[in-house]
Amino acid sequence: MNKLALVTTLGLTLVLAAGCANKSVVRYGDATAVETTDINFGSTDLQKVAAEMTDSLLLSPVVGTLTQNSRPVMFVERLKNKTSEHIDTESITDSISTKLLRSGKFRFVDMGRVDAAREQLKFQHDGGMVDPSKALQFGRQIGAQYMLYGNLSSIVKSNQDKSDVYYKFTLRLMDLESGLVEWADETEIRKTKAKESVGW
Amino acid sequence: MSGDELERKLGGNMLIRKNVVKAGEKTIASLAVILLSTLVISGCANKKPPVTSGTGTSAMIQGDDFSKHLEVHNADLAKRLFISSVKSRTSNGLLEVNLQLTSRYEKSQKLQYHFNWFDADGFVIEARKTPWKPLELHGQQSTTLRGLAPNINVSSFNVYVREIPEKAYKY
Repeated sequence: MNKLALVTTLGLTLVLAAGCANKSVVRYGDATAVETTDINFGSTDLQKVAAEMTDSLLLSPVVGTLTQNSRPVMFVERLKNKTSEHIDTESITDSISTKLLRSGKFRFVDMGRVDAAREQLKFQHDGGMVDPSKALQFGRQIGAQYMLYGNLSSIVKSNQDKSDVYYKFTLRLMDLESGLVEWADETEIRKTKAKESVGW
Repeated sequence: MSGDELERKLGGNMLIRKNVVKAGEKTIASLAVILLSTLVISGCANKKPPVTSGTGTSAMIQGDDFSKHLEVHNADLAKRLFISSVKSRTSNGLLEVNLQLTSRYEKSQKLQYHFNWFDADGFVIEARKTPWKPLELHGQQSTTLRGLAPNINVSSFNVYVREIPEKAYKY
């Protein structure tokens, strides 16, 4: 009787375990929800950093006076990744510049596409295909007044039960003419990973 | 000791022994049930989607009384969490919102919060682009969350707070 119960239990368990474990299903998720898959720099960190830096910049009194009567022209210098991971820092600066641009307070020049723009202007002038009277003129672009630049650094610590990562992101706005740093801010992220003994 | 008494005692003992045997069977049976159910729970319980409701405000215009707009969708969370005030003002032409969040719980809570922005006609602005931000609220801690409108057209907003589902759930 007891053996029968035991065998049935074991059999059922095996079936259940096998039934539950071997499914893989693809679903769409929320791209903006907090993601805690692992401790590395993730989408939530990127979104948090970009949103906080943009908010801080747009709220600062200095920027209030700069953008009162005009939309200053900025360019973004690459962020320096000083962390121990590979992080696409261009993705962070892209998010920040997109948010700033969409706020309607700033304008940007894109240093990453200068060669492509030059190529196009060259084609218009030397390609022999474009009506010379309608070709765009060289030397009419507007120069950036301000430069955004920053650093991303991390401190990683771990022992056998726990790992902890701390990110610090610093962003600065420099007036290119005077060389003065007009605004700066930093934001921090702490993430920990610990083993849990019980959990379902 | 009289014979009657002895018999009664023996009879009682036998009854007890019978009960012990029955209890033993019952224990094994209940153990099997417990084992099975724990395995079922540990194996399959996370098929249920996580609870993702929370508390927040419906769209409120600058200067409105927030308590009229307060929405509680998750009573468990509402016992542990309390939105004590929502204030807004315009700075640098953009709507700025401050939300005072107080914990009524002695342990830390892992939360996420989110702002939605609407223009004067009630149309959503930058839909699905404002991220959920993570927040760790310590026991009984009170904190202020800040939100800034993405552009100058925003005139109303709503805000929502919910927990971070910690386990990997299979939907």
